[in-house]
Amino acid sequence: MRPAQDNQGSFLGRISIRRNQFVDVNNEQEQEDLELFQKHIADRFTDLLSPTPPQQPPPSDETNTVAPVAATEQIMSVTWLRKLMDVFLCCEAEFKAILLMGRDPTQISKPPFDRLVPEMLDRSIKALDICTAVVNGIDSVRHYQRLAEIAVTALEQRPLGDGNVRRAKRALANLLVALSLEDKENVSGGGGGGGGGNKTTERSWSFGRRSGGSSAASKGGATIGQLKSSSWAVGRNWSAAKQIHAMTANLTPPRGNEAAGLPQPMFIMSTVMVFVMWVLTAAVPCQERSGLANHLPVPPKHLNWAQSLIGIHEKIGDEWKKKEKKGSAGLMEEMTRMEKLGHSLMEFADGFHYPAEKDAAESAAAQVAEMAEICRRMEEELVPLQQQIREVFHRIVRSRAEILEVLEQAGKISAPVV
Amino acid sequence: MDEFESKLPVSGVKNHVFEACHHVVKALRASDNNLDANLRKLLSDLESHLSTFGIADTKVEDTGFSEIEVRFKESVKTILSWETNHSTILESGPSEADHFFQALYEVQTVVMGFKALPMKTNQKEKDVYNQATVALDIAMLRLEKELYDVLHQHKQCVQPEYLAVSSRRKDIVYDESFVSLDDVEVVVEASSHEDDEQISEFCNSDLIDPSVLPHIKAIANTMFACEYDQAFCEAFISVQREALDEYMVTLDMERFSCVDVLTMEWNDLKLNGAMREWTRVVKNISHVYLPSEKQLCEQILGDFESVSSACFIEISKDTVLSLLNFGEAVALRPCQPEMLERFLSMYEVSAEILLDVDNLFLDESGSFLRMAFHELSKHLADHTTATFLKFKNAIALNESAHPFPGGGVHHLTRYVMNYLKLLPQYADTINSLLENINVDDSIPEKTGQDVLPLTFSPMARHLRSIVTTLESNLERKAQLYADESLKSIFLMNNFRYIVQKVKGSELRHLFGDEWIRKHIARYQRDVTNYERSTWSSILALLTDNNNNSVKTLRDRCRLFSLAFDDVYKKQTRWLVPDPELRDDLHISTSVKVVQSYRGFLGRNATRIGEKHIRYTCEDIENLLLDLFECLPSSRSLRSSRRR
Repeated sequence: MRPAQDNQGSFLGRISIRRNQFVDVNNEQEQEDLELFQKHIADRFTDLLSPTPPQQPPPSDETNTVAPVAATEQIMSVTWLRKLMDVFLCCEAEFKAILLMGRDPTQISKPPFDRLVPEMLDRSIKALDICTAVVNGIDSVRHYQRLAEIAVTALEQRPLGDGNVRRAKRALANLLVALSLEDKENVSGGGGGGGGGNKTTERSWSFGRRSGGSSAASKGGATIGQLKSSSWAVGRNWSAAKQIHAMTANLTPPRGNEAAGLPQPMFIMSTVMVFVMWVLTAAVPCQERSGLANHLPVPPKHLNWAQSLIGIHEKIGDEWKKKEKKGSAGLMEEMTRMEKLGHSLMEFADGFHYPAEKDAAESAAAQVAEMAEICRRMEEELVPLQQQIREVFHRIVRSRAEILEVLEQAGKISAPVV
Repeated sequence: MDEFESKLPVSGVKNHVFEACHHVVKALRASDNNLDANLRKLLSDLESHLSTFGIADTKVEDTGFSEIEVRFKESVKTILSWETNHSTILESGPSEADHFFQALYEVQTVVMGFKALPMKTNQKEKDVYNQATVALDIAMLRLEKELYDVLHQHKQCVQPEYLAVSSRRKDIVYDESFVSLDDVEVVVEASSHEDDEQISEFCNSDLIDPSVLPHIKAIANTMFACEYDQAFCEAFISVQREALDEYMVTLDMERFSCVDVLTMEWNDLKLNGAMREWTRVVKNISHVYLPSEKQLCEQILGDFESVSSACFIEISKDTVLSLLNFGEAVALRPCQPEMLERFLSMYEVSAEILLDVDNLFLDESGSFLRMAFHELSKHLADHTTATFLKFKNAIALNESAHPFPGGGVHHLTRYVMNYLKLLPQYADTINSLLENINVDDSIPEKTGQDVLPLTFSPMARHLRSIVTTLESNLERKAQLYADESLKSIFLMNNFRYIVQKVKGSELRHLFGDEWIRKHIARYQRDVTNYERSTWSSILALLTDNNNNSVKTLRDRCRLFSLAFDDVYKKQTRWLVPDPELRDDLHISTSVKVVQSYRGFLGRNATRIGEKHIRYTCEDIENLLLDLFECLPSSRSLRSSRRR
């Protein structure tokens, strides 16, 4: 915004503004709206980057409450993801108001909008497919949650017997394999679990789940079944990474004159959309994500509104690169913690001798409680998150319809979009 | 195992154990009124054993416990023997199964009994407990495998054809898009599908052989009682979900992304196939498969109500969402009039299944699926309505640059009327969609002889308005003809075609008698116009003036022949495709022309002289039959007909 105004700091410039004032009344209003829009984007993402801590309960409530409260707000936690969805919906609503309200329909059918608008709509269709894939991915997370719950139930038994530990190990092994799976990894080819877990996996699956005697299904029946269906969520050959890549393909910041006008918020909104979709894809299991980190939609650093977004971006991007090497189902904070707890509980289980040693049992109990807490939060928030994503889906559909309607009014309805 | 041989020294502890056992058995019975026979027998056995122990206990404490130990050891042995046995417990017969379940309950009783004890028990007791937890886990894992195996082996196929909801109507295949209509031939094929194939009334089919249900139920109850409910649900959900996936594969329901659906051409067979398939599958799934699945869940898990519905949703969610997504994706497509019929059938199904869906996803946990179906139905409704209205627009906007050759029935007329003919089968659906959309109608009031309410339904009003639009378009197209007669032929052909299509189909009730009468009168006027514009001046040559000289008569006869040749040359290339209309035209023309000519010849033949008369009355009569036959242009008056 600034540079455009600076250019007109001269006397002549001011006169020309005066002269065009009759025309520019709307423009001034628009400039204000655009600046406000950018400010809101910046604020919302700053809040996501470093959330203002919620009102702490009075200190009388000591130890228990502090840790979970901090954890829930952490980047990539399920609560944070839900907040991200809200942010997206807010940005989207505000953007649509700027794009459509009180605007002469012909304006957005003229160049450069005859190119920009279809490109934007094209991106939104790709976003719809990502929403579908992510909703499906969250179903997989719910599957992990159930495996974790089994482990929790088993390890909560008192007195803790070998049978309970055996059961917990089985659930943990499945959980760890599922959590470390890469999107298209073929599990029946070889165990995915790391180190100590591996042997256990083999053993626990040497029995049972031999559906109909077929040996291919003998390992990890439920787990694989889940992944199989999730890989089909959007249709054959669909790839989340490719979609994200395609969405960023023609996403370039507006230059020159365009930077001061409507192309700017269009660019911002598209960036936000791609970013949000990218985060979702990285958070939960999703169909085909190899190279996701390379498709980061990085907006230019000098843009004010983009600072926090870039900050979040970098954090997640680093995590993803780390995870991509060893294979991971997703970066959702709860999943990461679940994996960590899973490994250490697995260690506990491997070293378990009945009756439990007091110290080991106590530290395990604390971990089990933490795992139980994660499961509880997942139970509370995963389904609402799914619903929010469907809401995002419907919102995108609706906005697209409204934009198409305006274009049609403009009598310039070109070839159907996409 | 050696420790088991020794006896528990603390009799107080023992009593606790027995009490706990009693308690467990009672609780188990109370938890379920519908315990299957095996289980019930087992429980009463256990109870009687326990009471014996209780009595024995008061007398000879140590013997009692050693008896438990023996039984416990036996039970563990039984369970372990099944660990490596890959046949199902079900196959081994009821007594073996009893044996297994009994062993399992012995073990569980020990576990539960010890859990109820104060923590301070001695090492041996603890070891027994520990052994019991392991045995219990082995048994549970064995039951999990049993569940997988039994569900797989006793799965019953839901035959797609048995459930087939036929596409109850004729499918018209439009090979041309609406916009490219103008100068190309439109092939409209009506291929009739098998006739009304009724869907058997709400039929729950059994997804699992009912005879094994008690066994599965026993597994469920046992696993739930031992707090292995999650494991049971996981296994059950994964098998049933897989079965549903397979079923979808047999139904050929492929998954498409939104991008796929939007990038396909409207006449892409894959897209059309998928849309047709979708209506069929959605009906099947919501009407037959899912109710059966839900019933299965209730039969097995009915005692754990919330679990039963949660399992049902987990099993069906993925498939249901994929179907919803396809519907949503289709509603994203542009409102192409060519797709109206397919949108209509999809919308119709989406509205039809709402009741089923409401019943399937009654409770809170399923509410988002329920709502998603309602939303989808609304989206499809909006989309279909928009497409319907666009259909009329497209007709209004269809322009031709050149007159339609031969004056025949224009492609647009064929296209529109054949399309309209498809719509009455969706009458209810269309009426509900158009209820609140105003339209100019040619029959504004309920007057005249039309009495059917159908004639005044929103759909009827809209259809008449569509035809009015078509008619004004045809009038515009008619203006392109330089020849007045051909213009009349063109209008007559097209209006006749419209009326015939209306009369010959369900459309007649919608359009009403009055409309039909008016429109017949309309093309009759064109017939009159034609006769006037072609023949009036020619026949005028044949009228007698009293003082005709021979020369004048000969001139007139020659001029008549020339004019007739001219008409013949032109109008044999014109086309009146409707045989009845063509016959009528031939007859009425023949009556007028031949009569005038015969009279003329009768009065003047001798004066004119035979060699000056080119055509006899029979010639004229025969030649007139060639008019409107669209003869090849090279053909002219045939020599055989010449004198």
